[in-house]
Amino acid sequence: MQLAQFGPGLKRRFYQWALRGRAPEASPVVLTQRRVYVLPSRAGLGYAASLGVMLIGSMNYSLSLGHVLTFLLGGLGISAILNTFRNLAFISITPGRCSAVFAGEVAHFGLVIQNNRKAERPALRMCADGGDWIVLEVPPADRIEALLPLRALKRGWLELPRVTIETRYPLGLIRAWAYAQPKQQCLVYPRPALNAPPLPTGDGDQKGNVQLGRGSDDFAGLRDHHPSDSPRHVAWKAVARQHSDELLTKLFSGENTQSLWLDWEQLPTGLDNEMKLSVMARWVCEADAARLTWGLRLPAEVIMPGTGESHRHACLQALALFGR
Amino acid sequence: MARASASLNQQQVFWLCAAATGGFAPLTPWLPWWLSALSTLALLSRAFLLWRKTPLPPAWFVNLIAVIGSIGVGFHYRTLLGKDAGVALLALFLALKLFETKTHRDAYAVVFLGYFLVLSQFFYSQSIPVAVISILTVVLLTATLVALNRAQAKPAASLRLAGVMVAQAIPFMLIFFVLFPRIAGPLWGLPQDSGRAISGLSDSMVPGSISKLALSDAIAFRVRFNSAPPAQDALYWRGPVLTDFDGRTWTIARPGVSTALPYQTLGRGIEYDVTLEPHQQYWLFALELPGKLPADAVIGSDYGMYAKKPLRERFRYQVTSYAQTKPVKEESSEVLRVALELPSGMNPRARALGEELGSKHKRDAIQIAADMLGRFRNEPFTYTLSPPPLGRHDVDDFLFATRRGFCEHFASSFVVVMRAAGIPARVVTGYQGGEINPIDGYLVVRQADAHAWAEIWLSGKGWVRLDPTAAIAPGRVEKNLAAALPAGEPIPMLLNADNALLRAVRFRLDAVVNGWNQWVLGYDANRQRDLLKALGMASPDWQSMGAALMVLCGLLMLALMAWTLRQWQRTDPVIRAWREFQRKLTRRGLVAQAWEGPRDYGLRAASACPAKAGEIAEIETLFETLRYRPVQSADALRKFRYLIRVFAP
Amino acid sequence: MLTPKTRSGSPSIDDVLQTANHIILGKEREIRMALACLLARGHLLIEDVPGVGKTTLAHLLAKLLGLDFQRIQFTSDLLPADILGVSVFDRDSGNFRFHPGPVFSSVILADEVNRATPKAQSALLEAMEERQVTAEGKTRPLPEPFFVIATQNPAHQIGTFPLPESQLDRFLMRIAIGYPDRAAERELLSGADRREMISALQPLLSAQAVLELQQKAMHVHAAPALIDYVQALVEHTRHAPEFDAGLSPRAALGMMASARAWAMIEGRDHLLPEDIQAILPSVAGHRLKLAVGGDMTIALRQLVESVAIP
Repeated sequence: MQLAQFGPGLKRRFYQWALRGRAPEASPVVLTQRRVYVLPSRAGLGYAASLGVMLIGSMNYSLSLGHVLTFLLGGLGISAILNTFRNLAFISITPGRCSAVFAGEVAHFGLVIQNNRKAERPALRMCADGGDWIVLEVPPADRIEALLPLRALKRGWLELPRVTIETRYPLGLIRAWAYAQPKQQCLVYPRPALNAPPLPTGDGDQKGNVQLGRGSDDFAGLRDHHPSDSPRHVAWKAVARQHSDELLTKLFSGENTQSLWLDWEQLPTGLDNEMKLSVMARWVCEADAARLTWGLRLPAEVIMPGTGESHRHACLQALALFGR
Repeated sequence: MARASASLNQQQVFWLCAAATGGFAPLTPWLPWWLSALSTLALLSRAFLLWRKTPLPPAWFVNLIAVIGSIGVGFHYRTLLGKDAGVALLALFLALKLFETKTHRDAYAVVFLGYFLVLSQFFYSQSIPVAVISILTVVLLTATLVALNRAQAKPAASLRLAGVMVAQAIPFMLIFFVLFPRIAGPLWGLPQDSGRAISGLSDSMVPGSISKLALSDAIAFRVRFNSAPPAQDALYWRGPVLTDFDGRTWTIARPGVSTALPYQTLGRGIEYDVTLEPHQQYWLFALELPGKLPADAVIGSDYGMYAKKPLRERFRYQVTSYAQTKPVKEESSEVLRVALELPSGMNPRARALGEELGSKHKRDAIQIAADMLGRFRNEPFTYTLSPPPLGRHDVDDFLFATRRGFCEHFASSFVVVMRAAGIPARVVTGYQGGEINPIDGYLVVRQADAHAWAEIWLSGKGWVRLDPTAAIAPGRVEKNLAAALPAGEPIPMLLNADNALLRAVRFRLDAVVNGWNQWVLGYDANRQRDLLKALGMASPDWQSMGAALMVLCGLLMLALMAWTLRQWQRTDPVIRAWREFQRKLTRRGLVAQAWEGPRDYGLRAASACPAKAGEIAEIETLFETLRYRPVQSADALRKFRYLIRVFAP
Repeated sequence: MLTPKTRSGSPSIDDVLQTANHIILGKEREIRMALACLLARGHLLIEDVPGVGKTTLAHLLAKLLGLDFQRIQFTSDLLPADILGVSVFDRDSGNFRFHPGPVFSSVILADEVNRATPKAQSALLEAMEERQVTAEGKTRPLPEPFFVIATQNPAHQIGTFPLPESQLDRFLMRIAIGYPDRAAERELLSGADRREMISALQPLLSAQAVLELQQKAMHVHAAPALIDYVQALVEHTRHAPEFDAGLSPRAALGMMASARAWAMIEGRDHLLPEDIQAILPSVAGHRLKLAVGGDMTIALRQLVESVAIP
């Protein structure tokens, strides 16, 4: 039908207009009074209908107090409009943190909701377009970080879509809502493959080296002695000066330090790119879990061997943004 | 997109129980006792189950209770459709609804039902206490709505917010109340109520029926005179005229009615308006005798004033009365015949006395009456509230044996004697006197002021009032009942003149109640028109009222909006002055950044307007001192503000 | 941000600054910051390439303030005992006698601190934090004032152990000195040897005077509005997406102390928002980590510009 074709376009244009055509918006996004819409909720319509019946009853039975009550409840409705509007107006939204997730997981977009008023703002509800609602409450003159859930489907940058923030507090008769689209993005790593080939760690000898992760050419420093360390590496001279029973191990750095290389070219050629990225993401996770030192070799990028949280992030980021 | 918390938590269900109780409790005086008990039991058991976290009874059980309760209501009221039966069913369903309230939608239904129950109270009473209870109930119900919308709300906070919101609603209520166009009369026919207690005078009189009223200080009606009120002993408020006598009971004769007066008015009238409490009867009270009739009233052939419907609501009407009248024509022979009738075989001694007086004074009505009144005055008759019981011939017993009686005894025996003497006579009941409330100037007439007096027909003069009570106890008509009764008689506490404090309190209270009746309960289309005219609205039709309503509501909303959105930050005078300084510099293009420190801004400003560098530096140093140094001085603040005021970049 | 050239503060502080500026040319702000760090009872980390005058600065400060000075060159085989001291058997008394290490001085230059192993690093850092040394079961207090200037090479080199983030927090400030500008460099080249100039200097203060100044700095008045300001800045870092983790309460305390010392050097007995803005990059720079990468200086300027002064 024509209406059905017309509908989505109209809706999109409405959202464009509601966001004043500034998506994504510069932060902080302040919900000024022009951006907050107010309409009766379903309960509010029921309330209005009840008031109509009460007014007719009061008129019919000439109940003067009936008029008073009906008008008082009418005034309460107006007060509800003002208070609901007030609960939402002049909130300011700034982008917060968003930690990277794997594709298929739920990303949590952090938005800092700032309440400059010296009154609390209870029962705010927010959702990112397509995500679930969350309920939050901002204490007086304070800010809190709302984590908007949204399922990440594809690797790469996931932009925060339009955010709806609404409230029905205090009476639930009125719904006040606003749209915002702060600039916020979440890095989505490729989904780790379920059935990945094992880590390309090579033969047993190399593996030992890999786990030690150290060469033996240049003296690089001292650390506490571990029982597994070779006695040849104990720094006897240093121990003598130390006046304690602890042994120290000499560390060396050298050319022949073996590192695990996760190489794009090693993967079977039959796999498509996305599948290869998935496998490599799995490898990165496994290598990190095994506390290995690994490097990453992609067609256009090489990440030198390393270890730790930031190294893992760098590798997964390279995979996530591969070809983008 | 389902609501995040569609089901209710325990606290919210507690709130609903409280709301249902609040909606239902004020109705209990008017509900059948068994229904009140059933609903209370239901509410208590619901709260108990909630407290013990026990599962709810099955739905069929609740439905069964509902059906049984409905049948009971049907039996009690003989219908399920009337207003009272409807209210009873509403109360029952509210209590039972709590057993199947699981979602927010059900919860809203409970609260809205509660609002309806508040309204339904007003069918039974619209007094000030009921209004206060209703406001409290509305706050409770509103707090329930707040609690429904916030999962973990503190009860006190919810109640406070609800109170604030109701307070915000009051100005809107007042505007609507004054300006919302009122429609006179019902929109459709109202079902007739039955079984409402009749208070005050009735259409018959036996010995003791007036003295029974004398102990009630319930208000019969209130009067506001447009000029000075007449003398106390002229305040005869004419009510039912009793002509038919069966030897013991006086009853009203159904009079013919018309809108034309059966008499001519003479002299100047007294204008006043009467606010009559509902008494479920047709008659209206007026000073003898009404000249200009109120709208919707008719006058009977017995000179009584009647409404067209029984008075079920408080009724306000305007009358002009004339102390002097003369009949338009001779009274019909039928009326006179009835006014002479006496049942045979009753009160033989009184009849004998009448006949004796008639022959003694040669049927001269005035002399006969004077003779009879003289007997009351001279013989040992006593005016008392507690007369001894009388036998079958009660007039005889009173006149010749006990000689102790209240006004109805005197009036009744007087009329019997007059009739026996051949003079047409009848008993008039009504009220005599009243008390001016010094607070609001209204004359308050109570049931205790109920009175009975006599009328005799004088050819050419018409019906003439004669009050036998005035002969025996002049204080009754000159002052009030308490002044007329002998010491030691029980009198209504409130009529006791000794207790000055109590009287002062009563006057005040009564003035409040009267104001409430006049301006809140009595605010109808007429009163609205008068008030709006007094307020300067030239033609208060519904268009202009609607326009005024919209404008005022809009203004109020804007004001409230500004108030609710205010940031409540009482700005420090130092900051306020500094902002002024920044505003002045902003006009020169020096926009202050929110993150910019005062010294940086001062230096920037000084380099932008070198001519004013000295002043700027001085202001900036003062600001630093006032804002960031531990010691404050009023002098520095004064100087700072002065410098900024005179500063012109 | 504001750096007035001359303000009549405490005359001795002014003298110290003037003399120091005479020797290290064109680095007024850095010298002032180092002095503020010392007066706030903190320790200083200088991260810069070799040869820009890190050692000269440490030496100069020690000399001018009348404090004794020790330099520890950190190497990969440096042991904790080399820093803290050793007990040596004394044949005369027949007992072990403790030989205090270089750490028992008022001003210590820990040069190239990232060259040593974590073990040696943590020995110094513990001493910095606790202001005492525990060796062979005995606790020995370090002299007061106690001021460590550690230098670190920013470039990642093989065989270095960059201080872990948790340890960086022990330093109140981190500054860079940077290359001198053209005029200053020319004057440096044409002038006398800096080392000789320093050894020719007379101390302007004493350890006692420095302690008194440290006491005075603690009593600089901070208006409630400025405490709010520090709080707002710290809170902003905890939510802002450009940073990985926000500033700790210790960082906030450090900001207050540094700003107070800065205000005192400027000759005031009360804080101004500008003081906080001035010390913010030095105090916060090494405690924050950028989430996506980029320039910390720019991120810190954005931080200042997105928090309104209450």
